[in-house]
Amino acid sequence: MHGPDIQWYVILSALLFTTGALGVLLRRSPLIILLSVEIMLNASNLLLIAFSRLHGSEDGQVFAISVMAVAASEVVVGLGLIVAMGRRNIELDVDKLRTLRG
Amino acid sequence: MKAAAWICLLLPLASTLAITLGGTALSRRTAGWISTLTTFGAFVAAAVAFFQMLGESASERTHVTTSWTWLSAGQYHFGFSLLVDQLSVMMMLIVAGVGGLIIAYSLGYMDGEDEERRYFAYMSLFVFSMLLLVEGANLLLLLAGWGMVGLSSYLLIGFYQERHSAIAAAKKAFIMNAFGDATFALALFLLVEHTGSLDYSSVFAAAPHGGTVANLIALGLLGGAVAKSAQIPLHTWLPDAMEGPTPVSALIHAATMVTAGVYLIVRCHPLFENAYFIQDTAAALGALTLLMAGLIALVQVDIKRVIAYSTMSQIGYMFVAAGIGTYANAMFHLMTHAFFKALLFLAAGIVIHAVAGEQDIRKLAGVGKLMPRTKAFFVVGSLALVAIFPFSGFFSKDPILAAALQRGWFGITLYVIGMTGAFLTGLYAFRLFFIVFTGEPSSFVREHHHAHHGQEGPVSMMATVGVLAVLATIAGFLQWAPLWTPLTKWLDPVAPPLVEATSAQEWATSGVGITIGLAGIGLAWLLYSAKRIRVPRALPVLEHKFYWDEAYDVLWYRSSDLVSRGLYAFVERPLIGGSLVAVGRGFSLAGRDVGRLQTGLVRSYALALAGGLAVLVVIFLAVR
Repeated sequence: MHGPDIQWYVILSALLFTTGALGVLLRRSPLIILLSVEIMLNASNLLLIAFSRLHGSEDGQVFAISVMAVAASEVVVGLGLIVAMGRRNIELDVDKLRTLRG
Repeated sequence: MKAAAWICLLLPLASTLAITLGGTALSRRTAGWISTLTTFGAFVAAAVAFFQMLGESASERTHVTTSWTWLSAGQYHFGFSLLVDQLSVMMMLIVAGVGGLIIAYSLGYMDGEDEERRYFAYMSLFVFSMLLLVEGANLLLLLAGWGMVGLSSYLLIGFYQERHSAIAAAKKAFIMNAFGDATFALALFLLVEHTGSLDYSSVFAAAPHGGTVANLIALGLLGGAVAKSAQIPLHTWLPDAMEGPTPVSALIHAATMVTAGVYLIVRCHPLFENAYFIQDTAAALGALTLLMAGLIALVQVDIKRVIAYSTMSQIGYMFVAAGIGTYANAMFHLMTHAFFKALLFLAAGIVIHAVAGEQDIRKLAGVGKLMPRTKAFFVVGSLALVAIFPFSGFFSKDPILAAALQRGWFGITLYVIGMTGAFLTGLYAFRLFFIVFTGEPSSFVREHHHAHHGQEGPVSMMATVGVLAVLATIAGFLQWAPLWTPLTKWLDPVAPPLVEATSAQEWATSGVGITIGLAGIGLAWLLYSAKRIRVPRALPVLEHKFYWDEAYDVLWYRSSDLVSRGLYAFVERPLIGGSLVAVGRGFSLAGRDVGRLQTGLVRSYALALAGGLAVLVVIFLAVR
């Protein structure tokens, strides 16, 4: 087997996931939040493929493709919402969207 | 014989079904004729069975015929079986015969009434139920018939369903009868447990002797009999049942259904003999009832209610007879009573029919002058009721009291009460007769009396009442103790008497009975016809019918009303209602606080999600 050991992949994936999670938690623009979510998804995809390669089975790759499909659909919906917000002149700041406050 | 029994039973059922299913396709007349002819058909079948039985020797006159197994439960099997023996064939003749006459009378009485068809369907249903009651070969079929006569009685009392009082009376009758049905059913449970069967023969052979169980069984049966026959303490429904049409009062609430209790005691006499205390109780209740009903009848002003109280009183005599064990006399009095009481009711019905439905005797005063034939019918019925020779009541009532003399002090008490009752009978029967039928017609009568095409009533009514008048006059000669006693001999294999009066007692009782009856009539004449004595004011206790209704009202209605009001005020409102309000308020308060967690900040939700996940991961790793 060529390439780095599995722990490097895990570390890279953890870094990516943390970046994404921090982006979701700290940023206020919905566009950036969507991007961060994508980064988290890709972190998990990286792990799936790495372990798939480690175990020599294709299951992980299949899941990774499914995740991509789901991520693409999710982005479509999310971007659609953001476009709708822009058309209605709603400020692109998730902290301002507090209609559901109890 | 067996075929005759089935035909007798099923003809009235066929009539009910035909009238019900036929609906408006049948004319009202046709419905009436179907009902009348099928009931007479049943009578013919009963007569055929009777004559076939006459040709047999006394020991082989019991026939049981099973058509199919009606109910099976575990090791118990109950057949749909009919029993034809001396007792049931006698009841079949009475029920179908008197029933046929009364339904024929209804052709005239109910003519032009709305929903005549419904009336005739119910009447046929009643005849079927009553025949099922007397022909059933096991106690379960007896109970089925017992319940069904109660149902038909309920339907017919409430026949005028637009009248509030009729509906109330129907419900009252049904509820009090249901109480009796329940004790009856409990007795049957005990019988099944202890004998494993409900067929008469095996039950009587295996029934427990003495002891609590035997007493409880007899008590349960007595409860049923007392409710059905309107004896103390379950009697208050019968006077109210007079809300039904008059022929119904004649058939169900005088001639047949209310005597079912007497039939039950006679049929199940071995069970009562196993519990002699309960049998004595039956006699005592009968004696109390006959006295009390006689007293109440003295002050009633509704013509039908007077006759209703006299019915209770006469059934009291039958209970005395059944209670002391002179069964044949009980059945004999049941038969003659069916004739003369039906006669009285139907004659009263002719009067009511002719004066636009009025029943108050004060308004009806003097109607006899316009209706001489009805007056004659009524006097025949009254004389039979008071037991004056040679009318039928004389032959059947006095032997009951004569037989009571065989029972020591208890018997003598019954005898004295019975004789007092006989005096009251003379007084109230002829009070009714003198007020309604003698003297000058009142202004009300002059105004409202309509002759029916120049006659006193339609042919169907006058003819049937005539037949009953003949029967009420001559039927007594069937048996004249101690000269000839064919009925006692006929019933001896089924219900052998426990006591038999001596000839001297019979003659003496007859003499005393007639004297006392005439004394009652004489007093009535002095009071109400000659008016030599002023009529004393009615005692309030009599006008309130000894406060039975009031007592039941306080005991059951008001007490439960009070309890439920108390429960509402002290349990329902503070505990149940209050706790529900508190629970609701608690959730509302909690919701307000929990609601603060919902900040609406998406990022805080995401943080909670991530934090929760992190905690779970840590726990997962730590626990592993």
